[in-house]
Amino acid sequence: MVLEREIYPYLQWLLWGTGGSNFGALPRFFAVCAGFAVLAILLGYVVSLLRAERRGGFFTGLLQAGDRVFKTLKSGIAELAATSPRRVWALAKLAMKEAWRRRILIALVVYVVLLLFAAWFLSVEHPDPARLYLSFVLSATTGLVLLIALLISAFSLPGDFKSKTIYTVVTKPVRAGEIILGRILGFTVVGTFLLVAMGLCNYVFVTRSLGHVHQVEADSIERQTSTEGEDEGRTGRTTNTAGHRHRIEVDSDNQGIALTENGHYHPLDIDSEGRITVRPAVGFLRARQPDYGKLRFVDRTGVEKARGISVGSEWTYRSFIDGNTLATAIWTFSNISAATFEESRNDQGEASGEVLPIALKVRVFKTHKGTIGQPISGTIQFRNPETTAVSDPEPFYAKDSQIDEMFPSRAQVTPEGEPIDLLDDLTTEDGRLEILVKCAERGQYFGFAQADLYISKPDGSTLMNFIKVHLSIWIQMVIVITVGVVISTLVSGPVAMMFTASFIILGIFREKFLEIATDQAYGGGPAEALVRMGTQANVVSQLDQTWGVMIVQFIDTFISRPLMWGVGQILPDFQYLDSSNYAAEGYNLPWDRIFQDLTICGGYVVAFSVLGYFLLRTREVAR
Amino acid sequence: MSEATSAETAGAETASSEIVVQTRALSKVYRDFWGRQKVRALKSLDLEVRKGEVFGLLGPNGSGKTTTIKLLLGLLFPTEGEALLFGKDSSDVSKNERLGYLPEESYLYRFLNAEETLDFYGRLFDMPADVREQRIDELIKMVGLDRARKRQLQEYSKGMTRRIGLAQALINNPELILLDEPTSGLDPIGTREMKDMILRLKAEGKTVVMCSHLLADVQDVCDRIAILHQGELKELGRVDTLLTVADVTQLRAKGLTGECQQELRDVIARHHGELLEMNNPTTTLEDLFLKIVRDSEARPGRRASIEGADDNKTGGVATAD
Repeated sequence: MVLEREIYPYLQWLLWGTGGSNFGALPRFFAVCAGFAVLAILLGYVVSLLRAERRGGFFTGLLQAGDRVFKTLKSGIAELAATSPRRVWALAKLAMKEAWRRRILIALVVYVVLLLFAAWFLSVEHPDPARLYLSFVLSATTGLVLLIALLISAFSLPGDFKSKTIYTVVTKPVRAGEIILGRILGFTVVGTFLLVAMGLCNYVFVTRSLGHVHQVEADSIERQTSTEGEDEGRTGRTTNTAGHRHRIEVDSDNQGIALTENGHYHPLDIDSEGRITVRPAVGFLRARQPDYGKLRFVDRTGVEKARGISVGSEWTYRSFIDGNTLATAIWTFSNISAATFEESRNDQGEASGEVLPIALKVRVFKTHKGTIGQPISGTIQFRNPETTAVSDPEPFYAKDSQIDEMFPSRAQVTPEGEPIDLLDDLTTEDGRLEILVKCAERGQYFGFAQADLYISKPDGSTLMNFIKVHLSIWIQMVIVITVGVVISTLVSGPVAMMFTASFIILGIFREKFLEIATDQAYGGGPAEALVRMGTQANVVSQLDQTWGVMIVQFIDTFISRPLMWGVGQILPDFQYLDSSNYAAEGYNLPWDRIFQDLTICGGYVVAFSVLGYFLLRTREVAR
Repeated sequence: MSEATSAETAGAETASSEIVVQTRALSKVYRDFWGRQKVRALKSLDLEVRKGEVFGLLGPNGSGKTTTIKLLLGLLFPTEGEALLFGKDSSDVSKNERLGYLPEESYLYRFLNAEETLDFYGRLFDMPADVREQRIDELIKMVGLDRARKRQLQEYSKGMTRRIGLAQALINNPELILLDEPTSGLDPIGTREMKDMILRLKAEGKTVVMCSHLLADVQDVCDRIAILHQGELKELGRVDTLLTVADVTQLRAKGLTGECQQELRDVIARHHGELLEMNNPTTTLEDLFLKIVRDSEARPGRRASIEGADDNKTGGVATAD
């Protein structure tokens, strides 16, 4: 599931944070910047002190170094104000021409060839081919775009230093910040061009590959009649194409559909003589828009808990409820109104009342086999959180990890058989509604996380979702370009590339990295890990508390872990920023999330540009 | 304040405002990664260059000329002392507004053509589009690259690269031009054109600081020179003063007969002078070469006739002590 992390409204995320120890992104950004600024000033002071030729004693040297640092900071702030868009754009255009000259278009050719080969290996017979195709093209695009971003950004400035062309640039009234921003902007434009081209290829590739047409198997068509002999239409099946066939249902009015299989269905064209033609597939690409509630649990004895029980899974995202006990998973939804309900239509296309569209995904944990192939039964029930009025539990059957879309009617009945309205009676005045889910079979367990039950709003535009996912790749690309350009002000091209690549890799594993930094992972810090590797001790075995081990653990506690923690604060979480799974799994990527990611990206560009400015400003260009 | 004092102050201000380049105890030590001293490239240099001067930094390879230029430009940071341009510290970027720099080799983007190159550097001066266009056109014509303006610099010959390098240094119509080995790698015609250009810039009232180890070039164009050796200033002054040999008299005349020459010898002997040399001078190889090339351009396909040799038949030079 792609929705492990709750997405908060943009302003809440930016200013106030997401509760607990997480404070808003903006205050956090300022805190990290301030921390690093202080460190950088101290470092600058020490370097200045060491570099300078001192005359007049130690204290004069201290003052001179302070003066130099102060002057650099002062001129830096003054120069920031003198940034000229024309100069930045000139430098950006130069960067674009440079990238062009480096035959950047070859990357696009490589990508097209990659797609052509991929078509051999990707199978449309997969039960969820859209997911397979989208995951592949989005991962390939992300990988290639980030690689190109890494290469063009890391080698550009060092190239200028090497060829000394930088001499003719820095002797013009160009501010160091403009050189950095110009490079970032130029490479971003080039990268955007590539990404748009790849995106178009992706869209054409996915839609063309997944699109297919079935024929009707003429022998399979059977006329259906009721017990009273009334015509109830026809059923049948399609031919087997792309590894599957669909069941066809046509009613007595010649309205019909080829039912959902492998995540899509086919509309049917039926002419006046009853000839059926199957139209192209619909619903491969989806952009479901879930509306989430808050999840809490009741344990087997009926006591309320924040979490269910653990079934021993290492991944603690979901917790479980025991079957046929009082254990219940309770979601509380808010803002339920008449608009939340959908008009349901019967087979004849007439309005048949309102339904609440919900989707439920269940992780099933079995302690005994039960009947092989048989899903586990559970119940779903609605409750008013104020009056505690409840509807009669409705049974459902859960297969592990499958999303079950349900449409319970607005007209419900109480357990006593009295009619009760889902909106008027079971929803409070302020629009709150509780949905209770239980497992009905003893010895079996249902596992849930908050995002596993949601109210489905109408699907968003799949094309827009596709664009949004590419936008999230773009965001990662800009961060890589920024880091690459800034690091390359300091070191040579290959070193800058290695450094940036390490930054990306650590960014992908940021969570684990921080776990080690905060001593939440087994095996200690890096120094202890080195000892464990040397002594072939696994991560959980206790080390003998010898002097050597104590020194190593001291180093981890007071040097390596704080260092790692510091680095962890500026590492971009690439795993989080990668939102390609939204498109692959058919969920709409919320704009709140896009704005959050764009803000993170902006934060990196601003903070790293300032860092790059000082790195370039304090570097001797002609050395 | 008395009138005399205020006049003095005003005079001092004018003088100091005319100082375009100033270095005070400027020193540079190159160090390795570990901070160990590798070489002391410049030792406590004190210089002043005034407005309108052509100033030459002279010295053998490794004497600190280029280091001085780089320190003035802020490409290197001084280990000690300071370098001021227009009264501003060399690390101040705003000084570059009034500055033009031609590096030792024209370090330009080889994938741009002449127009794109000048347009790029023009934009770096924040010049508006119309001004930029006009200036680019002027400069391209001035350096004689009109026919190659659309060609990429990687197709340029050394001389053409040098010329476009000079054009980029002049894009902002600078008041001060720093030229690092301006004639290096140029053929005699290119060298002559470069020297003419420097003199033209001087005539326009611009200040030029150049460094070179080609003594003849420096002698031809510089008003003042500083001679550096092993990072130290060895000599500083006006070229004419430095090169004048006070106790030798040189006389050049045309159309003298043998008798007249003998008479001159007698006069020198009568006045107890020592005749060092009396002969017909030869032209310089540079002059000869330029004459041949110009003749060839005027009459292509014909072998050049060297008339210069005949010109000097009746002339003579006498040098006496």
